[in-house]
Amino acid sequence: MASKSKTHRLHQLSGTALQSIAKRPRTITTESYMKDAFANYAGYLNELNEKRERVVKASRDITINSKKVIFQVHRISRDNKEEVLKKAEADLVAVKDQYISRLVKELQGTDFWKLRRAYSPGVQEYVEAATFCKFCRTGTLLDLEELNAGLLPLSDPAIEPLQINVLDYLLGLADLTGELMRLAIGRISDGELDFAEKICRFSRDIYRELTLVVPLMDNNSDMKTKMDTMLQSVLKIENACLSVHVRGSEYTLLGSSDPSFLMGVPDMQS
Amino acid sequence: MKSAFRNAVALRTLPHYHFINPHFHSLPRFSVAAVSSPPSSLVSPSKPETFRFRRRSSPLRVRYSSMTGGETDAPASMEKQFEDFRVKLDEAGSLRERIRAVVNEIESITRLMHASLLHVHQSRPLSEVLEKPKAQVDGLKELYGRLAEVLCECPGEYYRFHNDWRSETQTVVSLLAFMHWLETGKLLMHTEAEEKLGMNQAEFALDIEDYLIGLCFLSNEMPRYVVNQVLAGNYDCPRKVLRFLTDLHAAFRMLNLRNDFLRKKFDSLKYDLKRVEEVYYDMKIRHLANGDSAEDNGTQGQS
Repeated sequence: MASKSKTHRLHQLSGTALQSIAKRPRTITTESYMKDAFANYAGYLNELNEKRERVVKASRDITINSKKVIFQVHRISRDNKEEVLKKAEADLVAVKDQYISRLVKELQGTDFWKLRRAYSPGVQEYVEAATFCKFCRTGTLLDLEELNAGLLPLSDPAIEPLQINVLDYLLGLADLTGELMRLAIGRISDGELDFAEKICRFSRDIYRELTLVVPLMDNNSDMKTKMDTMLQSVLKIENACLSVHVRGSEYTLLGSSDPSFLMGVPDMQS
Repeated sequence: MKSAFRNAVALRTLPHYHFINPHFHSLPRFSVAAVSSPPSSLVSPSKPETFRFRRRSSPLRVRYSSMTGGETDAPASMEKQFEDFRVKLDEAGSLRERIRAVVNEIESITRLMHASLLHVHQSRPLSEVLEKPKAQVDGLKELYGRLAEVLCECPGEYYRFHNDWRSETQTVVSLLAFMHWLETGKLLMHTEAEEKLGMNQAEFALDIEDYLIGLCFLSNEMPRYVVNQVLAGNYDCPRKVLRFLTDLHAAFRMLNLRNDFLRKKFDSLKYDLKRVEEVYYDMKIRHLANGDSAEDNGTQGQS
């Protein structure tokens, strides 16, 4: 008996504990309480990780398709505004119905905050796309309440509805200014100066409002870097609008509807 | 906030510029809030879909009047929304401060408990070592109760603030598990830990990952404990600790882990186990371990 136990001990020492334990019923009784408990923990962790994976996948889908909406809106010009926006809005609704709906059942209860890092990037991108569309449509900011009201139909009335939280909304808004900047520069080169000025005022408003709110946000280090980028975007828009103003009289001399007027203007110094 | 100034050269070199756009003041960056932005709706009235060129004069007139007049819908509703956000975030901030206050108290108790438990390395009798920490467990339970109360005010947001008390809780679990093991030689179960801390309510439970990480911290203490016990003459200890850690390691191997903090801690468990094995082996081959074939079933430690 003693020698048998010694060889088994050596097996333990070499680290193949699991197999050797199976040959020794005595050890199983002492540690079976541990194994039972850990079997439960294993089940819990498996479930959690699988759910997290599903959420991450949904978040990625939301991100890609929201980006497509944003690119669609960038194709806007004074001639095709209606059709561009119509398609963008339809695509946005599709993102909501197909991808955000997948998040609804996964994020019930405490998982909403527990898994936030998994879905936050996707939701931020969606917020960016939705606010971008709304601005191009009406010139106003889509507020969180309205955005969330749109999400209510996705959830069964019996359960807790999926709502975007303030933090993700603000993060998405911070990214919006980058897109606005690109839009403004694009519109200026197409000659749509008023639209650019609208964008300029709008992004100033957003930036101003955000400066007061950002210090209060939880874990706001990434938001702080976004604020720096945002300021750069706002400056770019303002400086672009400035160049236009400065040469404003030159534009009106050449007339409004002639797209080739830009060719006649001497090289702009920035 | 970074201050950024416009290229003022552009303004100065174009004298007629001021004439055309007298509303444009060369304000420094920080007083941007003072410049009221005229609402977009006034500038482009009834035809939003056509963004035509305007003659410079008409927008000017409109801007002037809007600057003196009140704000219209767009900025006002934006302001209101952000005001709401400020209020909400402020509340969350003050909640967080209260949580931090409770957590600081938890931390000071755990420090005391840990210091008392360190006596075990100096081979004091077990009952004496455990006396103070056991008394402090009640204090901990009360503090976690207070934490639960604070969290009651924001239902469902347990995990929003979770990181604020996460590491302290892991330390607490490891201390409780160590005490439990010293007394009984067995592993403290998740439900037992919850009970000791009063964390078995619906909204306020002990997170399983925190519990598991706490167990890994427990194993970090073991090699040092074994070494000091052998130095003190307790040659029985390594075998018991080895069995315990082997079982624990085997149990942990049942889990599927991601490459996160828990996995790193589980890896450290392996090294602790290895260290204890080495001590045990050293003793074994020098025949220092007595009666090693007697199968004890994890009963009380006889120091």
